[in-house]
This record gives sequence, structure tokens and C-alpha cells, in this order.
Amino acid sequence: MILGPGAFLRVGLLLLVAVILQLSVVGQIGVLGSYADLTPLAVAAVAFYGGSIAGSAAGFAAGLLLDLATGATMGASSLVLTAVGYGVGRFREVRDPSHGLMPIAVGAFATAGWVTAYAAVSFMLDVGATVSPLVIRDAAVTVMLGALLALPVFILSRKLLAPALAFDPRELRRRRGAPSEPGPLGLRGLEV
Amino acid sequence: MFDQKTIRRRRAVLGVFVGLSVALLTAYFGESGGGVLHALQRGTQEALAPIETGASRALKPVRDLFGWFGDSIDAKKDNDKLRREVESLRSELAQAQTAKHDNRQLRGLVGLRREASFPRGTDPVGARVIARSPTVWYTSVKIDKGRADGIRIHQPVIAAGGLAGKVTRVTGGTAEVTLITDSQSAVSAQVMPNGANGIVKPEVGNPNDLLLDFVEKGMRVRKGTTVVTSGFSSDRVRSIFPRGIPIGRVTKVDLDEVELYQRVHLKPFADVRRLDFVQVLTRRPPTQQNASTGQVVAP
Repeated sequence: MILGPGAFLRVGLLLLVAVILQLSVVGQIGVLGSYADLTPLAVAAVAFYGGSIAGSAAGFAAGLLLDLATGATMGASSLVLTAVGYGVGRFREVRDPSHGLMPIAVGAFATAGWVTAYAAVSFMLDVGATVSPLVIRDAAVTVMLGALLALPVFILSRKLLAPALAFDPRELRRRRGAPSEPGPLGLRGLEV
Repeated sequence: MFDQKTIRRRRAVLGVFVGLSVALLTAYFGESGGGVLHALQRGTQEALAPIETGASRALKPVRDLFGWFGDSIDAKKDNDKLRREVESLRSELAQAQTAKHDNRQLRGLVGLRREASFPRGTDPVGARVIARSPTVWYTSVKIDKGRADGIRIHQPVIAAGGLAGKVTRVTGGTAEVTLITDSQSAVSAQVMPNGANGIVKPEVGNPNDLLLDFVEKGMRVRKGTTVVTSGFSSDRVRSIFPRGIPIGRVTKVDLDEVELYQRVHLKPFADVRRLDFVQVLTRRPPTQQNASTGQVVAP
């Protein structure tokens, strides 16, 4: 990702919209007793297209904004979302997945990581809290909803972030095109 | 793939953000409710409140749409659950109402036998009504006690409140009771307390109205007085009903100048439409039993 005022603005706008939508709309739509969560999806989308540094920065910022807006323990969401953003970014950097449906898997894993790690952090901070087994069911539903919402969120995020990206992984794959015909020696790249 | 500088930068960024998060956590827990971070939270919430409100209002239709789907699913689930609950409660209610109804009838039977005027030594046998006459004439019922239980033909049958009928057919384990509302029924009766005698007959088809016929004109019968079995007995005939079983209460007296007798209407104490428990009086009271030998049975 090209670091510049435009990138900051776009990432900031994306995260702000994600948090506000999460708090005012998505968080109020109950599905099967649980709720979808846009925040980890937005962070995962930034990390997927921008890399681990952008991802961890976006995670920290989104977590901070979320904690400020909700009045939750400050730092908890930032810590978890930083890890989520970094993890997704590193996955992109190391594996460079090319499948068009990869955002679904990434979104599901990001949501699962967010839900699990946030629950663990909350549990560690709130000593003596009792946890109902229903949390597991709700977490599973949230992960499922995250997987469903991942594709549209990633597509919209990519459109918003496109001008700030150093390279668009999808565009790069498109430019690579189909493998060329092998040369007379039967080796690709040695065409005569 | 990445040079050392990039790796170091990446790790440094991660470290900085993790460190900042931990520092925020520590500071947040360390400060009081009026601290900087708490104040920052309150300020952010106040600043974001109008945006959140606006977004919430603007996107309410979207929320409502999804809510509608969710509510429909929940409503279906709730509907199934409530339906099962209603079935269960209906069953419980039916059981409770049946128990209450049975209890009322059994209490009525016990109360009837405790009345001072009720004949003693009748050895009542309790029975449950197992079948009813399917017609609207309220003619007979079948009970679950028979010959093996000491039931015999012509034995009187009482229900909660008063006289219900008499046994007209007996098998080993069941018996048929012809009700006082049957068209063939006739019971010798006496109006209390003035002692006017008459015959109680049914007004066929109306189980709430019996007629006390053949009451002499000279004996004035008043509305609201009680009619009981007279236990009529003579040298040749005797009533199958022992004296003193309540039959009903006088509701109307027809004073026809032309006719020789009064026609007295009475409402039976026993509700023959809702008989569930009855008692068969298997023995005649000792004082009346002696007079029964060699006599012809009469109503």
C-alpha cells in the first residue's frame, strides 16, 4: 500500500463507516440469536489488500475507534484486531492466494480469530466472570455471518482502497494472464 | 522475499501497536472514571452519537427488512413452541377441570348421604358412568358396577344432589340405570314440609323440569319447597325408592280450576346431563326392609 494522506483517508473512512454501520445497523439485526460483525471484516480487507503493516495499523485504529465508541475497555479490541490484521496481512504476503472466493475463507477466519481472541481477552480481564456455553453457538453464528458478508465487504473495500494500493493483487493476476506456450525445448519461458 | 529492513519495519509496527494496546489497557484500568481515557471515550461517544443516530434512522428500512426475516423465523419457532405449550396446558387444564368436576360430584354424593333426612343403612355402592344414552331424551346411563358388586334390578340410584334413577338391567360387571327423566319413570314423592303426596314424572326432553302430578288441590304447594321420595308402602305395593331421598325443588305450581289435581313443576337436584359418578343403594333401610316382603314393587 502506498503510504500517503489518500491512503490514510481511505482506510480511515472505511473503518469509520464499518464501525458506525456495525453499531447502528448490523449490530441490531439479530440472526439466529447472534449478530454479524463488520469490523474484523473491514480490518481483514485492508490487511488482505494492503499487507501486514497496513493490516495491523488498521486493526489498531478500528479497535481504538470501537472501544471509544462503545465505552468498552480501551485497548482490548485494539490488541485483538491488531493481531487479526497482522495475521491476515502476513497470510496474503506469504501465500498470495489467488482464488476469487478466498475473501470468504479469510473473512471467516478473521471473524473467528476476533471472536475467540476477544472472548479470551475479556475473560482474562474480567476475573470471576461466568461464561455460558451459548457463547460458542453465538460465536459460530457470527463466524458464519462473517463468511457470508466477507465477499461484498472485500469487494467494496477493494474499490475504495484501489487508488491507494501499490499493486492490486487481482489486477496483477489478471495481467499475468494464461501461461505461455512452451518453447521448442519444452520449457516455458524459453520460447524462440 | 522481503529484505531485512522490511521485516524489521513490519515487526516494529506490530510491536508498537501491540505495545500501545497493552499500554492503553493498563492505563485504562489504572485510571479512575474521570480520567483522560474515560473522558476521551465519553467525548467520542457524544461526537459519534449524531452520526450513529442518523445512520440508524437512514438505514432503518434495511434493519426492519432483516428484522422482518429474523422475526418471521423466530415467530415460526415461537409459534411451534407455543403451540406445544398450549397443547400441554390444554391437556393439564382438561385434567384439572375433570378432577374438579369429579370432585364436585363426589362431594355432592357424600354431602347428600350426610343429610339428616337421607335414609340410613342403604349400603351405597359408588359407580362411574361409562356410557350415556345417545338420544336427547336423557333416558339411561350405564355404570361400571354390576351383579358382582351387589347391584340388582330396581335398586335406587342417587347422584350428587339427589335421586337419579333406578337400576333396570344388570350384567356381571355393568348395570343400566333408567333415569328419572325417562318417559316411563314415575316416582312416588312428597312435598316437604307440608307432606303433600304425588307422583314425579318427567317432562320428556327437558331434563331440568319434572312434573309432580296427582297432588291434591287442598294441599297448597309453594314454590321453592323441596320434594323427596315418599317411600310409599302399603299391604300390596311398595315404592322401590326409600323415603327421604331429595328429588328436586318446586319451581312453578299450575293451579288449574278445571283439573282435580295440581301440576307442580320441579327442577331435579341431580344434573342428569352431567352424571359421572352415582351411587346405587343396594339395601333398603332397615325400617322399610321389613315391610317389603311379599310386596309388589311400585314407583
